[in-house]
Amino acid sequence: MRTLFTIAGKDARILVRDRTALLVMLAMPLALIFILGSALGSIGQGDSLDIDVAIVNQDAGDTGQRFVDGLTGSKEIDALFNIEVSDDADAVRTAVEKGDLTAALIIPSDLTEKITAGEPVGLEVLQDPGSKIAGGIWAGVVRAGVSSASAQIIAVQTLQEELAAAGAGAQPSAPQGAAPEMPPMTFDAVAVREIEAQVDKRISMISYYSAGMTGMFLLFGSMFGAFSFVKERREQTLARMLSTPASKLAIVGGKAIGVLMIGAGQFAVLLIGTQMLFGVDWGQNIGATILVGAAEAIAAAGLAMTLAALGKSERAIGGIAPAAIMLFAATGGSMVPTEQLPKFLLPVQVVSPVYWTVNGFLDVMRGASVADVLPGAGAVLAIGAVLFAFGVWRLRFE
Amino acid sequence: MGSIVQVTDLVKRFGDFTAVDGVSFSIEEGEVFGLLGPNGAGKTTTISTISCLLSPDGGDVVVSGHSVHGATMAVKRELGVVPQEIALYPTLSAGENLAFWGRMYGLSGAALKSAVNEALVLAGLEDRSKERVEKYSGGMKRRINIAAGVLHHPKVLLMDEPTVGIDPQSRNHILQTVKDLNASGMTVLYTSHYMEEVEFLCDRIAIMDHGKIIAMGTLNELREVVGGMDVVDVKVESVSDSVLECVRAIPGVKQVDRTDSALQVLTPGSGAVLGKLVATLESEGSHVTSITVTEPNLESVFLHLTGKSLRD
Ligand SMILES: Nc1ncnc2c1ncn2[C@@H]1O[C@H](COP(=O)(O)OP(=O)(O)OP(=O)(O)O)[C@@H](O)[C@H]1O
Ligand SMILES: [Mg+2]
Repeated sequence: MRTLFTIAGKDARILVRDRTALLVMLAMPLALIFILGSALGSIGQGDSLDIDVAIVNQDAGDTGQRFVDGLTGSKEIDALFNIEVSDDADAVRTAVEKGDLTAALIIPSDLTEKITAGEPVGLEVLQDPGSKIAGGIWAGVVRAGVSSASAQIIAVQTLQEELAAAGAGAQPSAPQGAAPEMPPMTFDAVAVREIEAQVDKRISMISYYSAGMTGMFLLFGSMFGAFSFVKERREQTLARMLSTPASKLAIVGGKAIGVLMIGAGQFAVLLIGTQMLFGVDWGQNIGATILVGAAEAIAAAGLAMTLAALGKSERAIGGIAPAAIMLFAATGGSMVPTEQLPKFLLPVQVVSPVYWTVNGFLDVMRGASVADVLPGAGAVLAIGAVLFAFGVWRLRFE
Repeated sequence: MGSIVQVTDLVKRFGDFTAVDGVSFSIEEGEVFGLLGPNGAGKTTTISTISCLLSPDGGDVVVSGHSVHGATMAVKRELGVVPQEIALYPTLSAGENLAFWGRMYGLSGAALKSAVNEALVLAGLEDRSKERVEKYSGGMKRRINIAAGVLHHPKVLLMDEPTVGIDPQSRNHILQTVKDLNASGMTVLYTSHYMEEVEFLCDRIAIMDHGKIIAMGTLNELREVVGGMDVVDVKVESVSDSVLECVRAIPGVKQVDRTDSALQVLTPGSGAVLGKLVATLESEGSHVTSITVTEPNLESVFLHLTGKSLRD
């Protein structure tokens, strides 16, 4: 047992000093997550983003309608949003919950009445927490609308010589130019209410690719593990190990544990790195996330043995490994969500550790528990065991 | 004192090719035993079967009473192996390499630490122990390669051409190291194709060629094989059959071997034949370009037995 960890520790130490390996295992995935996650998922420059939102105006008076006209009439707003005006507040709430709509604004029936009475009013802004960025833009737009609307109202009220409004100052107050002695009219509201969207919690692009690329690159440890085996065979350190009182199985096991240790370190860096650099939310259940990642790191150790058995040289392995991993990754959802892939790929998907891993990560992001991801992790472990057994069976020591 | 390594009728084949062909020898406890032979003689193959890297196709190897058939772990525990290739991790430091190999032999804690320090001193690299091995010179790598094979104080040390391709200074250091290790009680099997090393180090020597042992004994016993005769090497421009006949006819010449442009003459006293030899060659039209006289050594023994030179 001690021999296993002696060998594993030695391999891990050697790998940490290998710049190429660090580049491939850490820098590449982080760069790809950043590029893919921001190119497709963040806000473009003035192009229509078509964020789906809805407005429900229930106001009995005409203030609500003016507000709606203000929002729908703006070119800038139109470029960003796909605004649907609806009467059915409940349907809109449900749509946001389901993720069909990204955000919504519901104007209460007593808006005009309350403004006239000088009471604070509330607007209901709904957003899907899975689309924080888009929802946040919507809330900002509504606030800006409120701000300009309240300025107009103040102007009207100044003429009417009346009114004081109570209420803690919420959002933007009257412009500097307005009569300073007049207390500003405030909307108490635009209290943005996040709706816990349960059915299809949208995952941001950066989170998606964090899961996808981590699921893919965790397998790359296998390539370096196989490199290490072939290199030890060529440089005779393997023969030297075999001349010590260590069994072949202990040597193979040690090297497999080495790959696993390397994978664990890589996983920790990617998990913390994506969180700190990109603010990725891996979900509430860190234990489940670790289970999914650990299963794949173990599968990578198994894959390392198969690669070492199939490839006679580093060059051969350097050809086979990326091709195999890309295939696993492409069919497994690292690049495109698996729901969007054709069904005939299913047989490839079920044997791809990446498929189970990426979906496991995504599920945990959406709130899955350890029990939910256990079957997927089990599938990954089974694939890893088969790869390990095959590798050990075919491995050549001299 | 008994034999600690016993090799009996050892056979090892690679496909149709028989690399080791019925080799038998035994190594006494405390001696340095030399295995001398040209490239491809089967030295490494023999060592690899002793260290259980290869399993024999015939015969047996017994180390301290344990046979390589079955008791490989017990055999390995008795041995330290210094491979022909430098088998170290280039991106690890000398200290890290030694610590790794020490752990592989079961050392840990304080014992490991002192073994590593001792091995660094042995290699003469104690002040460079934190440097990566890849930054070392060839000779330094060789020394660490040896240190990694002995730090666990094995009973028997198998050394496979430990001085290949290094500078004379490192070589002397290594030869002295082997002497010291042996003086401390280690039994050594020393493999080389440098006869000087084997002459300097070994109590007994086996000469190997084409997978077979062709002579074995102490240095003096082996010298007897050539009858204690001097070897006269003559480089000439060409050698014809008639020249060969004339040289053989010179009184005092016991044996003549030829290669393309050289003659090797064995004689009990070179002083008596040199003049006649040169005169004969010149008169036969074979122009002499150089001439060397060597007292009998393993080179001449090998030449005598095989008709070819140890070094290609
Ligand atoms: N794994 C192998 N497969 C096939 N042939 C081999 C193998 N190992 C050695 N040989 C052959 O066996 C013969 C003996 O090789 P070996 O390495 O034992 O010689 P050696 O005496 O150590 O030579 P050197 O001085 O070059 O190290 C050589 O002809 C070699 O080509
Ligand atoms: Mg050899």
